[in-house]
Amino acid sequence: MKFPYGPAPLVILIIAMITGIGLAVWIPLSRPSGYRAPDLVLATFVPEQADAYRAALPKFEKENHCKIQIELVDQQALQSRLQSALQVGADVPDMVELMYGTIGVFTKGPIQDVGFIDLTDKIKTSGLYDRLVTNRLSKWSSRGHVFALPHDVHPVMLVYRSDLVKQFGIDVNKLTTWDEFARVGREVVRRSRGPDGLPAHYMIDLPTDGNDALILLLLQDGVNVFDAAGNVAFDNEATVNVVCWYVKQIEGKTRISFPCGEGQNFAKAMIDGLCLFYLCPDWRSNRIELEIPSLAGKLSLMPLPAWKPGGLRTSTWGGCGLAFTKKCRNFDLAWKLAMYLYYDPAQLGPRFAATHILPPLKSAWNLPQFDQPDPFYGGLRLGRVYAALAPFVPEEHYTAYQTIANAKLSEAFTSASLYYQAHGDVGLRDYARAELKRCADRVRIVMHRNVFLYPPSAQVSEASGK
Amino acid sequence: MSATPIASSPPIPGLPSQNHPSRKRVGRKLRSRSTPYFFLLPFIVINLVFFLYPLFYATVLAFYQTNGPARRAFVGWNNFAFVLHDPDFHKALWNTTIFAVFSIGLQLPLSLGLAMLLNSKNDRFKGFFRLAIFAPNLVGQVFVGIIFSVLFAPHYGLLNRFLHELVGWGLEQQWLGNPRLVMPAIIIAAMWMYVGFNMIYFLAALQNVDQNLVEAATIDGAGPASIFWNVTVPAIAPVATFVVVTSTIGSYQLFELPYNLLQNNGAGYGPSNSGLTVVGYLYQNAFTNGDLGTGAAVGWILTFIILIISLVQIRLVGSVGSES
Repeated sequence: MKFPYGPAPLVILIIAMITGIGLAVWIPLSRPSGYRAPDLVLATFVPEQADAYRAALPKFEKENHCKIQIELVDQQALQSRLQSALQVGADVPDMVELMYGTIGVFTKGPIQDVGFIDLTDKIKTSGLYDRLVTNRLSKWSSRGHVFALPHDVHPVMLVYRSDLVKQFGIDVNKLTTWDEFARVGREVVRRSRGPDGLPAHYMIDLPTDGNDALILLLLQDGVNVFDAAGNVAFDNEATVNVVCWYVKQIEGKTRISFPCGEGQNFAKAMIDGLCLFYLCPDWRSNRIELEIPSLAGKLSLMPLPAWKPGGLRTSTWGGCGLAFTKKCRNFDLAWKLAMYLYYDPAQLGPRFAATHILPPLKSAWNLPQFDQPDPFYGGLRLGRVYAALAPFVPEEHYTAYQTIANAKLSEAFTSASLYYQAHGDVGLRDYARAELKRCADRVRIVMHRNVFLYPPSAQVSEASGK
Repeated sequence: MSATPIASSPPIPGLPSQNHPSRKRVGRKLRSRSTPYFFLLPFIVINLVFFLYPLFYATVLAFYQTNGPARRAFVGWNNFAFVLHDPDFHKALWNTTIFAVFSIGLQLPLSLGLAMLLNSKNDRFKGFFRLAIFAPNLVGQVFVGIIFSVLFAPHYGLLNRFLHELVGWGLEQQWLGNPRLVMPAIIIAAMWMYVGFNMIYFLAALQNVDQNLVEAATIDGAGPASIFWNVTVPAIAPVATFVVVTSTIGSYQLFELPYNLLQNNGAGYGPSNSGLTVVGYLYQNAFTNGDLGTGAAVGWILTFIILIISLVQIRLVGSVGSES
């Protein structure tokens, strides 16, 4: 029989059929014998966590006669795919680890539309609420409803080159306020200025874009970009104070900082001692130890200087949380798994030793691993010093408009910075205040366009910005 | 001629069919007529599913606000009005236009110059240089963004080190942290990437310039500049038009390069949004803020802008070419 469309289409058809059948047969064949579909799928974006979970799973699977699948997905891909899947009602994993700041994207509409299970009651009835650092729940909440379990606390300290600090004769115990820190910093920069006018050492690594570090310092002073109700809250006097202080440390004659960046530039700056002090949440202390082994014994840690004498000596930076999607096939099993992976002391001790990440479960801080001296940091008991600050980490609130709010805060900060370059201190506060107000109002306008949260009758007028 | 009446005559019940051959012929005719459509079918299906339906849906979406699969609200022209009044969109449009102007104003003359150098008679290293200059285009904008974010780093970046050694200035220059330097940094990175790409087009056009005309002009006493303006430019005008139009369209679609170059900046697009482009603004609205309706509106506005600019360019460059 002749194929009516000629030999070429026949060949194409045969190839298509062979590959189609091949794929259909190969997928089941490629599965190991005794393959069983997973009872739960947990997606994460942190490779270290995926490894730790995989290592811990066999015991849980054996005890609960179940199969768990861990999927490691790049953070941005995980967020955008999850967002798209929830938008169109497609399949999603049973449990998902989210990065800090992203919960708002998923809680944009009315509470009942959120694609995650509301954990508020479960956290309270299970007694978990009293066992955790409660400030960490705000990070995963929207309008009073908790949608994920916190994985960490991430208190922030300053890591410093103890050898260089000693050379400069600095007593870190006296650096109790940021003003004192800046005063000493100016002295360091003055003394280390070379013949070309460039200092060999700066006091602190501070980025000039007004983002993570600025937000961290604002949090330390009790300022959130959004308040607990989700309203824009960064246009106030406390923000003006922090912004004005910050720009004076990164610009002009009073400058004490250098933006060391990330990765290899950060490592090189630390090795060269370009800056004496660096902001250091718990996770960064581990990264430094792993990536810059040549600094062993040359580093130490101190709490952040406070904004006012006797004020808060820490802040927070980073974090991830575990959410349960509404399509979760077995919530009870998923909850059990979450308790096992996140809050089982048998898991948390070794995990802290491997990652330096402080868990939010307060009782875990008494485990022996948290008392181990770390020779890399001159024998400092890292678990102990971070745990001492952990109960005081400030609350954080996120909304779907976090990115635009951060961008607008950065815009106001950059404007203030440029103003300081051009005009100095005169009029800086008034200018920064006006810029913060303008930028915050812009965020309010964007937010109030959301007809699901703000019915048209309540919408803001563009002119008033209220 | 006889086939038609037989084919149209009614079949006689109870008798074996007498019109088998004609049926076969009709079937064959149908098959031969339908064959091209079968071959086109995959393209048509793919086009319908992945182009026309999304295009239609994006048009509808531009008039709505959505939240998940369950909720949508008709907002009329509100999304378009918001975008057109948004200072961030104005900034993105300004940044993109600056980039487009410099892309055309710097990249294309440079591409043409390099193409003319490589088109010279001495062809000993022609192949090597052609490959070397074109090679940056092979790596993609994401790679270039990451590489240049390291090159532009203050104190340790190669560019600052080079400037410091050369002129004793610039060691601590923050290319990606200073709003005034962000766009020059993006233009430099893009130039490294695209000069070689456009050069290939110009090289191909230059190789097709009629050498008889060049020789005739030389005999008539024309100098190199005169030959370039009166012989070369008219000959390469169609290719130049194509390059100008595609470069402009590409410039207005710029996204990955600034996004990756400025990824360490928490806000994503540089201090004060100094690296925000129109497509970056679209991405920010649609995927970061989750407002697909506004994202769709930005997409349509961008399409309209590109269409207008391209039509004007084709008209202008075309008329220049025809006058020449």
